[in-house]
Amino acid sequence: MNRFLSQKFRFYSFLCIAMLVFVHGYNLKEGYLQAFSLIDEPLTFTTFIEYFLANGILRFRIPMLFIISGYIFAMQDNKPYPVMIKKRFTTLIIPYFIWSAVGLLITYLWQQHPVTAKAVHDSVMDQLGDNRPYKEIGWRGILFRWIAVPTSFQLWFIRSLFIYNLLYPVFKWGVTKIPVVWFSIMFLLWVTLFAVVFFEGQGLLFFSLGIWLNKTNYLIDKRPEWYSRYLSWLCFISFGVIKTFMAFELEHNIVTIWVLVFLYAGTVVSGLLAVWFGADELVKWCMQRKWFVWITAFSFVIYGMHVPLIEYITMLMSRYMNHLPNHRLIIYVLAPSTVLVISIATGSLLRRLVPKFYRLATGGRGF
Amino acid sequence: MKKLLLILLIIQCNAIAFAQTGFAFNRISTEDGIGLASNVVRSLYQDAKGFIWVGTDNGLQRFDGSKFIQFTGSGDPMPRTAITKILPVDSSSLFLVMDNPREFGVFDFVRFHYIKIPLKPGKEIPPRAEYIAWKDEAGEICLNIYRYGLMRYDKGQQAMIDDDRFHFPEGWKEGLKRVFPDAQKKQWWFCCDSGLCVYDRATKQTWYRNFNPLQLPVLNNERVQDGIANFFIDKKRRMWVLGWPRWNGGVQSQICLDSSGAGYLTGDTAGISQGPVGYVEYHDIHETKIGDLWIYGNGVLFNYDKDRQRFNYINSDVYISQVGITYENVFQVMDDKEGSIWIATNQGLYFTSSVTGTFSVINILFDNKKSATEITDILELPNGDFWFTSWGDGVKSLDRYLKKTENYLYNTAPPSNWDKRIAGSSKLTWSMCLQKSTGKIWVGCNGGVLLQYDPAKKSTQYMLPPEFAESTIRYITEDAQGITWFGTQGGRLVKWEHDQFTVVQNFNTIIYKIFFDRAGTLWVAAHEKGLYELDPASGRVIRNFTAGNGKNSLYAGSGSDIEQLNDSIIVYGAGALNFINKYTGTVRLLKYEDGLPSNSVKRLRMDKNGFLWIITSNGLCRYNPSNNRITSFGRRDGIVLAEKTTMADFQCRQGYIMFGGSNAMVMFHPSVFSNTKAPPDVTITDFKLFNEYQLVDSLLHLPVIKLRNDQNSISIYFASLSFMQRDKLTYYYKMEGLDKEWIKADKLLSVNYSLMPPGKYVFKVYCENLEGIRSPNITEVHIFIKPPFWRTWWFLSVCLFIIALLIYVVHSLRVNKLLAVEKLRNHVARDLHDDMGSTLSTINILSSMAKSKMNVDAVKAGEYISKITDNSQRMMEAMDDIVWSIKPSNDSMQRIIARMREFATNVLESKEIELDFFADESLFDVKLNMQARRDLFLIFKEAVNNAAKYSMASKVEIKIQPENKKLLLLVKDNGRGFDVNKADDGNGLGNMQKRADALMGKLTIKSAAGEGTEIKLTIPIS
Repeated sequence: MNRFLSQKFRFYSFLCIAMLVFVHGYNLKEGYLQAFSLIDEPLTFTTFIEYFLANGILRFRIPMLFIISGYIFAMQDNKPYPVMIKKRFTTLIIPYFIWSAVGLLITYLWQQHPVTAKAVHDSVMDQLGDNRPYKEIGWRGILFRWIAVPTSFQLWFIRSLFIYNLLYPVFKWGVTKIPVVWFSIMFLLWVTLFAVVFFEGQGLLFFSLGIWLNKTNYLIDKRPEWYSRYLSWLCFISFGVIKTFMAFELEHNIVTIWVLVFLYAGTVVSGLLAVWFGADELVKWCMQRKWFVWITAFSFVIYGMHVPLIEYITMLMSRYMNHLPNHRLIIYVLAPSTVLVISIATGSLLRRLVPKFYRLATGGRGF
Repeated sequence: MKKLLLILLIIQCNAIAFAQTGFAFNRISTEDGIGLASNVVRSLYQDAKGFIWVGTDNGLQRFDGSKFIQFTGSGDPMPRTAITKILPVDSSSLFLVMDNPREFGVFDFVRFHYIKIPLKPGKEIPPRAEYIAWKDEAGEICLNIYRYGLMRYDKGQQAMIDDDRFHFPEGWKEGLKRVFPDAQKKQWWFCCDSGLCVYDRATKQTWYRNFNPLQLPVLNNERVQDGIANFFIDKKRRMWVLGWPRWNGGVQSQICLDSSGAGYLTGDTAGISQGPVGYVEYHDIHETKIGDLWIYGNGVLFNYDKDRQRFNYINSDVYISQVGITYENVFQVMDDKEGSIWIATNQGLYFTSSVTGTFSVINILFDNKKSATEITDILELPNGDFWFTSWGDGVKSLDRYLKKTENYLYNTAPPSNWDKRIAGSSKLTWSMCLQKSTGKIWVGCNGGVLLQYDPAKKSTQYMLPPEFAESTIRYITEDAQGITWFGTQGGRLVKWEHDQFTVVQNFNTIIYKIFFDRAGTLWVAAHEKGLYELDPASGRVIRNFTAGNGKNSLYAGSGSDIEQLNDSIIVYGAGALNFINKYTGTVRLLKYEDGLPSNSVKRLRMDKNGFLWIITSNGLCRYNPSNNRITSFGRRDGIVLAEKTTMADFQCRQGYIMFGGSNAMVMFHPSVFSNTKAPPDVTITDFKLFNEYQLVDSLLHLPVIKLRNDQNSISIYFASLSFMQRDKLTYYYKMEGLDKEWIKADKLLSVNYSLMPPGKYVFKVYCENLEGIRSPNITEVHIFIKPPFWRTWWFLSVCLFIIALLIYVVHSLRVNKLLAVEKLRNHVARDLHDDMGSTLSTINILSSMAKSKMNVDAVKAGEYISKITDNSQRMMEAMDDIVWSIKPSNDSMQRIIARMREFATNVLESKEIELDFFADESLFDVKLNMQARRDLFLIFKEAVNNAAKYSMASKVEIKIQPENKKLLLLVKDNGRGFDVNKADDGNGLGNMQKRADALMGKLTIKSAAGEGTEIKLTIPIS
């Protein structure tokens, strides 16, 4: 891997995770967004912008993270399988438990003061639907949340990634031996939003694509001849805009669902191409800045910490700022920015004060 | 809303007598113009939303608090006949029982669909059968048919079928009259002519007196053996039995048994048979959610009075119909979600608040048959007795329980030297005041007569002080220093200090009120002269607020009452409410236009919670200083006589506020009207589209009301289905998508939206009660006015996207064209350079060499010239090829083939090789671009040249034909052949392969020594 490709990986990992914070800062009424979610609110500048970003053009973030993960994992497959898995356990599962516990701790601390406790309660963050204070839920409930249904729900990504890594030999075989069949199946699983317990299908296609790109030595650091920056950005933005308007204006039925899923797929694919190949200048500019490189080191801390913090801060801000005009849009900008600052500051402090724990919590990333 | 109890007293002319305990009933009838179909109301039911369903003699109706809606819908025609029972089948449909014609049906009020439910009896039902429907705790709807048996509603069959689950004793089933389902014990009690039996669901047994395995005492009770018409177990597990048993000689009996059914609770039935006159029938018992018992039937309506611990007969009395109830038959009693009691009678529908057992609101009506009883002042004595001054009847008194009591005011006779006119003035009393220091009571009378009553000695001192100038003493009060102040009809302000009267001021007009504020300042309300502020020490007038058009003028010159709202605000009731800031002197008015019931304020009284209670000529209202809101109270609140109580006001030590006036008095505790319970959520009661009512139930069952883009003018009606509070709720609504802020609704409780643009809207509404407590949830209606697709943002954005895409395509085509031209130029340049340049160089060199040898070596020079000839010939051919390939007219396959044929003929003929050339005509229309044409021709040329030069063949076979949608070029000779594997990859074969690749084609060469050569090229064609 050449230096520029390495820089691109670092840049886009940070970008995707930072965007993730803004996606989770979405504060319209229906907080759970699926690819085909419709909006049952009037179309306003605020609602348009939030949906356009969170469920439109920022949807490429998880696929890109899976592509990067697949590519990097495939680069290292010369090591014995047990060694690879052991390493992945250290870099994925241990951080999973640590950040799941951090999420519980943040929630518990917020539950200790009436004002913040109200924010926790109103955020309805508990995946089991039980929003009582943890004191009432008991140790058994807390243990279950820690292991299986973390309050920091974003951790599903590293949990899934670990499972993908466990299944890497299968992926590799499929990608190299029966690529057409394999990618057809993966594509179907992606667009049908397949998911079972602990095995989300959203990353399968892109993890496979990462492996394929590596195994075919595809030159992903260079812009391909067939690539059109204009076309990819046009499709990326247009699909996002059209999908957003449709989410406000169409009625819920099976045709709408499939149209939205198609647009979602189009947005993701065109977004991946547009962002990956179309912003090399920006990548170079950013990665030449020391402060930016310093910030990118804390990508994993941002990832692990931002939920549930973003939800609670959003609720708290809503309580005190709801008298302001366009308060939802203001909060949508302010709350994620605040969480980013808090996460980076926390990461910086941890790295300085308890470097061993920091290494453990980030899986060795972030130095 | 707290529950209210209203005591209606009728005070006889000279004797105050306790007349009746009862309720303030609100009657709804056909005359009210709100749509009740018939005054004969037979059945009631309140659904989950709070609507009251009413079964009248003219069909089914629904009441939303302001209007009745009659239902017609799809399915079977619903008879407009007497609906005798309404039972819920599920959350969206009702089971209806009709009397004449006898019919049963299920009405789906969401779909507005009615279906008739037929009876499917196992045997014939006798003509004199009686039908009573009921619902058990499991939700099953059953039907007792007297003289037949029991049936139940089968949803699958949509019919009533025989219910054989119970094993009645032989012959009992036909005499079944009523059933009481005991949800607690899961037992059903059957009232039969033959006695009482009970079905126990756990054991699936039916017990009766001859089969009583648990020895239930009630089954063995000698008075519960026959003629049982109704059986009821209340929340205290008492058993109530109504019937016509033989032990009572066939006369109707009402007995109450303890929970075992053995002991008689005779005390609990006290009063149950007292009141009704003539023949009456006790039909049913209703127990409210708070455990109040009601018994009703033909000519009877009883309520159990917890205070008096006896049943209170509620008389059907036209005389008190102002607040009473009139009925011959009470068909059903029901308590709604708020605890209000609804009574279905043959004289209309009534509702009233239920009983808590404490006196909350008391209306006292004085009988004025013989003479008017004008209450002019009220006073509470230290012993709890109440004194009322009256104009003509002197001072009357009630004890703390509002029962008549004696007072000894007139035990002492007036002075003997008073003439009859002056002595008679002592009965024309107007004002009272308790002297705190002595406990004596001042009574101001007509003609300046003043009485001072000493309760300790029970003696009265009659006075006629000259300071009053024989003018009626209109008001008496005492200041903080114990000085008593008097105001007279003639306008004199007199004080009593150090046992002597002093005239302080003379306003020469009627003094209505003398008021000391918290700072000790004296305020005097004077007729036509406004309000005076005085210094009580000097009697000096500080300010005088008067009516007029100027700034800080009063609404009217005459005012009847004064109160203090807070340290700075004095409220003066002069016409409207006048709020006077005593520090700034500013006057703020609150008038009818601002919500006051009338611009005729009569009495004012502050309660301990800071609310100002106001009597106007239009009744009682309350002013809330915190939100500047006026709330009226009327009959629904138990306030019946407020319009008459304009003369006097008083606040008791226990906090009760009293207003008195013409033959009437109202007394209530202000806390009764404080409501700490949230009002029910607001319900959408109607939805109009272009002024046409829609099926609101159906609409509200939809997650979103979807309208076409031309259906964009709507009206929404809403109300909190709180029948007691609805007039005191404030509603706020907002149409999200149109309205930025919450809007306070007007009293019509509706909102219109016209010409709404397409889009998604959420109509939101909530209400707030007097205490500012909101309804728990905001009611929402989601509305989607669908735009035509060409006016949607998504369509516009798709169009923009397509335009941008087209621009891209056009731009790409243009760029590609330029690139193609550039590529062609490069290609031609390269070909010219490759083919012409080197050859011309060679010619140049050869010509130089030939020139130099011309005179030296003619043979050599000839060779050079010969080579020049060859090169120039080759160059001409190459030039010919280049020109040929560039020329667009040669793009067709026909021209290519012609050139191929020409070339092959020329080459092979010169070598005397036979040519067999075949070209399929179907290929003639195939088009190849310049490069492909050139590549194809050069492959062909190379193949033919090789055959001519090296094969030593006598025959060459050439085929050009289609094969599987591809073009096949075959060049085959019968020459000496060669070993393909050993052939060098010189320019010849290598170039052929490269050109085949460029054509996306496949080149195969088959050859072996002595077996000729076959070159086969397949290329894709379109």
